[in-house]
Amino acid sequence: MSASDDQSDVERVLAGDIPAFEGIVRRWQGPLINLAYRFCRDRGRAEEMAQEAFLRAYRGLGQWRKDAVFSTWLFALATNLYRSELRRIPARTMSLSLDDIAEPADARASDGGLEDRDRDLAVRRAVGTLPAKYREALILFYFHDMDVPTAARSLGLPEGTVKARLFRGREILRGKLPQRLAVPRLEEA
Amino acid sequence: MRSSIRPDEDEIDRILSGEGEILPSSGFAVSVMDAVRREAAAPPPIPFPWKRALPGLVAGGLALAVVLVAGIVAIVQFGRTATTAQFSMALPSGMPPVFHGRIESAAIWTGMALVMTLVSVKLSMRLASGRG
Repeated sequence: MSASDDQSDVERVLAGDIPAFEGIVRRWQGPLINLAYRFCRDRGRAEEMAQEAFLRAYRGLGQWRKDAVFSTWLFALATNLYRSELRRIPARTMSLSLDDIAEPADARASDGGLEDRDRDLAVRRAVGTLPAKYREALILFYFHDMDVPTAARSLGLPEGTVKARLFRGREILRGKLPQRLAVPRLEEA
Repeated sequence: MRSSIRPDEDEIDRILSGEGEILPSSGFAVSVMDAVRREAAAPPPIPFPWKRALPGLVAGGLALAVVLVAGIVAIVQFGRTATTAQFSMALPSGMPPVFHGRIESAAIWTGMALVMTLVSVKLSMRLASGRG
């Protein structure tokens, strides 16, 4: 994905060439849908939210100041939209409490891949039940390949605040899922 | 950032960063572009009719100011009257004549308020129906 492609497409759209927006959609549809999915855990809703994000980007293209990369602006816009959408209609996983995420009776009793998948799913669902500020920090941090500055830019927060929220979010996860996170992962031979 | 991480933190990192990607459905880009074209073809939003609304807003503002001033004057007058009434109640002279005057002034104010309400409702209905 090239920043110059984005810039030239934006300039064409602003000059009235509306079909040029399709280049932007095709380049960024995957990331925007995946980010939305991490917020709502519902594929259909993720696509609706991503579509709305593209529409808002289209309406606000003129507001993109070229001092930041286009993708930074697009992710910040999408993140804002997803956060407010989730505040308006919470995802199903958020209606669960952290106590509803089942802990195994004995984490060491079962074996192999199925248990790993179970644990991964439980941890991801547990993220959805965290208070919004910790949940959003964790989602953005892992979505951006554990890059704090990028996550902070998307959230519009100082890096220090994001780091503090990541720390606290992980603490809550560890407190609520002690057994699942205590299981040592077996290295494949 | 990762120098002091604990094993369970590493586990959280592994689980949350290793999440699989979902692919957009085949018609997603087309559907977004349809929505964008509809957006582009839609007429621009109707601007607020400031020219029409301005006389009403000015009149409303003036009326509000007049009512506020009149209210303050009425409160001040009421304060003076109350002091006089307290003083006159000490005298065995029956009902003070100013009492009747207050009912009259209240009736006048009520009548004015009703007329103002009627005028503002009529004016706004006329403006809304586009006949203004």
